Amino acid sequence: MQRDLGSLPLAPALRARLVAAGFQTVQELLETGPCGLSKEIGISKEEALEALQVVRQECHGDAARTAGGSGATRKCTALELLEEEQAQGFIITFCSALDNILGGGVQLTKITEICGAPGVGKTQLCMQLAVDVQIPECFGGVAGEAVFIDTEGSFMVDRVVDIATACVQHCQLIAEAHQEEDNLKALETFSLESILSHIYYFRCRDYTELLAQVYLLPDFLSEHSKVRLVVVDGIAFPFRHDFEDLSLRTRLLNGLAQQLIIVANDHKSALQEGKEHSSTFRLGSAIGLAAESVPSLLP
Amino acid sequence: MAAKKLRRARLSQELCERLSRHQIITCQDFLCLSLLELMKVTGQSYHDVQKLLCKVSRACAPKMQTAYEMKLRKSVNPSSAFLSTTLHSLDKVLHGGVPCGSLTEITSPPGCGKTQFCIMVSVLATLPVSMGGLDGAVIYIDTESAFSAERLIEIAGNRFPTYFDSDEKLYCMTRSVHLYRELTCDSVLKRIMSLEEEIISKKVKLIIIDSVASVVRKEFDTQLQGNLAERSNFLARGASVLKYLAEEFSIPVILTNQITTSLSNGLVIQADLVSPADDLSLSEGASGSGKRESGCVTAALGNTWSHSVNTRLILQYHDLPTRQLLVAKSPVAPFSAFFYTIEKSGLVLQDGKDQTNLTLEGMNPALQTIRVRNTALKDTLLDAALPSTTGLLYCWSESRGGPRS
Repeated sequence: MQRDLGSLPLAPALRARLVAAGFQTVQELLETGPCGLSKEIGISKEEALEALQVVRQECHGDAARTAGGSGATRKCTALELLEEEQAQGFIITFCSALDNILGGGVQLTKITEICGAPGVGKTQLCMQLAVDVQIPECFGGVAGEAVFIDTEGSFMVDRVVDIATACVQHCQLIAEAHQEEDNLKALETFSLESILSHIYYFRCRDYTELLAQVYLLPDFLSEHSKVRLVVVDGIAFPFRHDFEDLSLRTRLLNGLAQQLIIVANDHKSALQEGKEHSSTFRLGSAIGLAAESVPSLLP
Repeated sequence: MAAKKLRRARLSQELCERLSRHQIITCQDFLCLSLLELMKVTGQSYHDVQKLLCKVSRACAPKMQTAYEMKLRKSVNPSSAFLSTTLHSLDKVLHGGVPCGSLTEITSPPGCGKTQFCIMVSVLATLPVSMGGLDGAVIYIDTESAFSAERLIEIAGNRFPTYFDSDEKLYCMTRSVHLYRELTCDSVLKRIMSLEEEIISKKVKLIIIDSVASVVRKEFDTQLQGNLAERSNFLARGASVLKYLAEEFSIPVILTNQITTSLSNGLVIQADLVSPADDLSLSEGASGSGKRESGCVTAALGNTWSHSVNTRLILQYHDLPTRQLLVAKSPVAPFSAFFYTIEKSGLVLQDGKDQTNLTLEGMNPALQTIRVRNTALKDTLLDAALPSTTGLLYCWSESRGGPRS
């Protein structure tokens, strides 16, 4: 209740007027009703009511937080976290060596970064993961859908068709060998068509479109709640040219990374970034530092 | 999309005016600011600003399509997904030929057949769809003045003698190849920017730029300070415009590139230095101490460019007159090698020739070593450390009209 007015999410103009009128804490504001407020600082009664409602909502959130309930900050013990992590699935790739190194597969709720020289296979791996995330649970997968954000234009549908066909065949072989009912039922819905229709593709041609798409990602994910993987192929590419202001670029990249972390945590999905090989001259290393310091959750 | 004015993003008029007073006119300016800055500039509360951000993002975000829709679109018109090169083994490996909608690069030492390949593909693009062509015009941007119309007719007449049986058909084909001679980086960039309207009006189905490397290396000396960044900037901008054109109109874009030497001991050689990063990469067999052949020959223009192109084909010398074609980088094809010669009818693959000596393995396409003519000839008298000058010698001694000896 003694919270300072400056920390509330009010419009700057309104905040300036409140300060000028001498209000300092939330308590003082709530004691004056909407009519008194509107008279003192010269705004309409509706605006005053709106402001008071915002303030009350913030305080309510504060109180809930201090009482230890669920709010924007979660509090839990390490044991709960461990159980949560163990219960989570991995995105398997059917390549046992790779799955072993990653500790089971690509982890959900974490950001995994793939860097490499040109032509080494980053886009191939991303395409494979977009197919593998859809593997049904009875075969060990997470049965989810995938979002593919492409900035370089190297997504080839024909190649995805090849990969998906091979994956379906692999699952069919497993089903034939084990002859379980679950497997056969799952195979009915796991077909080339369904795999392709659950890969949502966005082609971003410059960094503005990339920023816009990442801002809209939370809404998209709440509409498509089965998405379990978000791939950003080429996060460095749109930032490598036409940027004189390097500090702006660092800030935008960091902002992007923060938002992706929020998305990964809130929506329980895995994020992949295919990053180019950053060379050692200034242009590349600026990206290298920014993009690598944030995903500290690399396995 | 980035330059979209905020007015068209359905923001209210007074908000737009208020923002323009702070020099925020396009969606790009709006999205580059942080939430607090936006609050200050718009004078609205936190939640309202978030809603505004969503509105502006919706105005510039790309449209969603599922992979299935993309596949359906391609399967409706299967012949238009690739341009067959009529080199059967190569087409098989590339799943049809030169892919439409992406950039394909041909790299080779001088005199290996880049321009020949480009001229041959120009003929192919003008053929009707029933013969594997794209039935359209070709835009050929020539920076080295290496294009020869006589060679174009020779290839057409020899490769498809039954189709080009009359002079009229030949002239009709030549009318569809539009040649532009550009000699500076600026003019090349301006030409690329102006291509959108030409593609629509002339029904263009193929863009060829021969070659990107020659203008760039003439103007940007990477040893001067600042030039390296400018060069990367120019290349990246050109690449993104070409990618946009390729995807928008679903046409193939073919670019040619030159070679450079990357040394392990940081020795500077003429203007062939690509980037410090390539310097630091170790080349095989490099001892460095006084040995002339302490470098390896790779594709020019550096790492940024290698990332920008989607497919990279490397032509190199094998033993004369046979040359080798490598598929070094491709999203659909594995690393493969083919032998070919240059005949009257263009490039001809040597099918069935000893393909078993494929001891080569694919590596980083930006660092894939390329065999130049002097290593093939094993001529130790020639100064191997200066491939550019020897390359030039060979260049001038070649004629553009016929097969190489």
